[in-house]
Amino acid sequence: MNSLSIKSFVIIVILFVIGLESLIFYNFFQDSKRSINELLTNSLQSDVLNLKHYMQKNLKQKDINEIVSHMDNLIVINPVIRDIHILDNNKNIVYNPDIRMPQGTVHATGECIPISKIVETDLFAQNCYSFSIKTYKGLNPQYYYANIYIDSKYIDNLVMQQMKKTLLLFTIATFLFSIILWLLSKYYVILPLKELRQYAYYSENPPKNFFIKELESIRYSLSITFKRLKKEQEQLYNLSTKDPLSGLYNRLSLIEKLNWLISKGQRDKDEFAVLFLDLDNFKNVNDSKGHEFGDKILLHISKTLLKATRKNDIVSRLGGDEFVVVLSEFKDENKIVEIAQRLKENLSKPFKLDDEEFTITASMGIAIYPKDGEDVKTLLKNADIAMYKSKELGKNNYQFFTDDINKAVQERISIQKTIRNALQNNHFKLFYQPKVDIKTNKIVACEALIRLIDPIEGMIPPYKFISIAEENMSIIPLGEWIIKEAVSQIKKWEQTPLKDIKVSINLSGVQFKDQELLQKIEMLTKDIDRSKFDIELTESVLIEEFQERLNVIKNIKKLGISLSLDDFGTGYSSLSYLKDIPFDTLKIDKAFIDNIYTKDDLTFINMIIGIADDLELNVVAEGVETKEQLKLLKEINCEQYQGYLCSKPVPPKEFEELFSKN
Amino acid sequence: MTKLLTLFLAVVLTFSACSSENDKEIVISTNEWIGYTPLFYAYEKGELDKLHFKLIKNVSLAEAANLYAIGKADMVTTTQHEYHSLQAATHDIVPVILMDRSNGGDMVLSNKSTEALKNSPQIYAYLEIDSINKEILIDFITHNKIDKNKIIFINKDQKQIQNITNDKTKDILIVTYNPYNIALEAKGFQEIASTKNINSILVIDALCARDKIIKTDKQRLIQLKKVLDNAINTIEQDPRASYKVVAKYLSNISYKEYLNSLKQIKWINKPSKEFLDYIQQYGYKKDTIIR
Repeated sequence: MNSLSIKSFVIIVILFVIGLESLIFYNFFQDSKRSINELLTNSLQSDVLNLKHYMQKNLKQKDINEIVSHMDNLIVINPVIRDIHILDNNKNIVYNPDIRMPQGTVHATGECIPISKIVETDLFAQNCYSFSIKTYKGLNPQYYYANIYIDSKYIDNLVMQQMKKTLLLFTIATFLFSIILWLLSKYYVILPLKELRQYAYYSENPPKNFFIKELESIRYSLSITFKRLKKEQEQLYNLSTKDPLSGLYNRLSLIEKLNWLISKGQRDKDEFAVLFLDLDNFKNVNDSKGHEFGDKILLHISKTLLKATRKNDIVSRLGGDEFVVVLSEFKDENKIVEIAQRLKENLSKPFKLDDEEFTITASMGIAIYPKDGEDVKTLLKNADIAMYKSKELGKNNYQFFTDDINKAVQERISIQKTIRNALQNNHFKLFYQPKVDIKTNKIVACEALIRLIDPIEGMIPPYKFISIAEENMSIIPLGEWIIKEAVSQIKKWEQTPLKDIKVSINLSGVQFKDQELLQKIEMLTKDIDRSKFDIELTESVLIEEFQERLNVIKNIKKLGISLSLDDFGTGYSSLSYLKDIPFDTLKIDKAFIDNIYTKDDLTFINMIIGIADDLELNVVAEGVETKEQLKLLKEINCEQYQGYLCSKPVPPKEFEELFSKN
Repeated sequence: MTKLLTLFLAVVLTFSACSSENDKEIVISTNEWIGYTPLFYAYEKGELDKLHFKLIKNVSLAEAANLYAIGKADMVTTTQHEYHSLQAATHDIVPVILMDRSNGGDMVLSNKSTEALKNSPQIYAYLEIDSINKEILIDFITHNKIDKNKIIFINKDQKQIQNITNDKTKDILIVTYNPYNIALEAKGFQEIASTKNINSILVIDALCARDKIIKTDKQRLIQLKKVLDNAINTIEQDPRASYKVVAKYLSNISYKEYLNSLKQIKWINKPSKEFLDYIQQYGYKKDTIIR
């Protein structure tokens, strides 16, 4: 069913009422007419009855003039009767009063119908009624006839007056009813409903109390609902735009505001800067002090950021310990530097939390619109890149995004992709660099070195991808592959002259994050003589989680795998490592070998060999490239060397050939 | 909405049904006559009201007929005289229910004997000329060979006739009917002839109606006939009970007079075929008579 406006509904009701009242009026009028007809008929019947009776008793032939006064009185008294004619048996008029009709008026007698039919006829439509009068002369009857003429004008006028009165009453009543209904509907229903509609649409300017209870109830309900909705809207807005912990804008809101700034910037050629902040070593704080404490620090940082920035700057928290500050309206980059510096200083100020003085720093990366990115994603990415660069450069600092940084990052991303691809498509190869016994000049061992041979890029040196593999943890599957490949090679050589060659592989510190490292090594090396397998570790492996990793290393040792300390002499070269870790071999870093000609370095190398000798450790000199270096090493009783003097790292086949020649 | 409209229409129809007219009232015009006692009885017992009949009692047959003639009554009690008069005047009257025939109920009274009247030089004859009285009187004077020219005819209704004083110096002749005869007989007037011994005249009392009534209210007329039959039955079976009910309609005559009056009529509400055939000569068509 189609909906109808109240206005239309009221109009329909009014029209319906008018229709109904018209019907009532018509019926009332008809009833009135019937009543008038009945009254007039009764009156006429009574008069006729009396007249007939009177005439029958008194009308005698030739003396009619003696009784005409009765008829005259009847015409005068009863306005319905216009005229009465008395006719004799031959229908000749014997009496014709000239009271209300012009003298000599003769009515057409044919129009008259018997008075007995009066109840069946409409008095308003009938002109004349007749009746007979029977008189007796002796026992002989004598007939007269009376014609009663009706005053149609009078009775029509009577009805017309009644109709006019009724019509007037009806019209006034209907008009008043319609006006009152319309006004009441308009002021108490339609207008309040319009106000309610406006209120429901805009939820503003609540209307005043209404007279109609139901409407008032709706108004009150709407008012309550709108208040609640507004409150919930604010809460939802805060939830959707603000970070619940810090109260700063969240990522979504930041993106929205950056988009707006970009649009504005495109239009007005404005610049703005995006400062990406990441707290330094915040993970350590969380790990050591707990997340609740970490949250307090984040709150402190948020407040500090708000204090240190201008009112029109945007401060947001992306999540974790990452914040973004958007600086708009700056004259030049000096202003950005000034703000970044202020942020750095304010952030690094010591503060007290739970009665404990605390200091935390942040690394910041800055990207400028539109120079460093024309969309939100690029700007944030580049600011993030710059922030990482800042971290690389020692943290607690800020760094602008530059093309060089970008290139390095792009290359890093490309290499990450290449690593994933290489692992899937077997583009990694193990090359083997011989370790030569200095005394016998025989190849006694080799170091397996990873090479990435990309079908497009060609050979990619390890220094380009190892650190990236360590960053994205792909070093773990790559390390497994290296072990597997080296073990496979040992297996291949078992039945060859190279069966005694010991193969070393390098184990990254990141691989120790793999909880299953020990089990994997055990499983992968189970099919070979583990004394042919050597793992080279650098001191950096033990910088983090020393005790846990030491346990893993000791267990590897227990498997029968020998351990070599790589790049000894650089870094801390802590002797305590040599004491705690059951190394078998020390590998003297190439830097010492390169400078073996100097007295200091030779003394140092000699000292290392002495210590190794005391600790019953083998010594391998790395990076030996000249015969002079070899001669000196021989003089100080270095046991083995490794370097280009013998061979660069080569594929297995070449290594086998080299071994044969050797 | 549809339900509301339906409800509204139902209410309107209910009200319109309530306001519609019941059976239209049928007015019976009658007069005081022992033969119409069943009408008075049924009226008093409320039987006529139930059928929506209204009874108007007039002082004479002529008055009753006048009421019918001017359209104030839908039915009228008549003898064949009024029936024919009204038929001539209105052309709209049909006998529907036969009530009674006079069996001594109409009579000729006089303060003189018939013989004395025959020899009287001048006779004052009181009667309701425009009634069956006239036929009775004519039959009486014809039968007794009384010279019509020495009679002075005085037209009075029965109420007036009832009040005539018995002037012994005058030869008075009165044509009347029950119960008006009782008061006159009390004044010394003697019955010298009646419908009981006038064989040449049959006075039939019947209830007549307009054509329209017969067409539209035939069933009510049949019910009325049943009511009147029952009333006659009661009057016959338990005259005392009926007397108590109708005495006021018969000039408060005594019970004895009531019983005598009843003897002066014969009920013809259940006429035989032969009777119906016989009365056709008076204009009573047997197919319109409700039996």
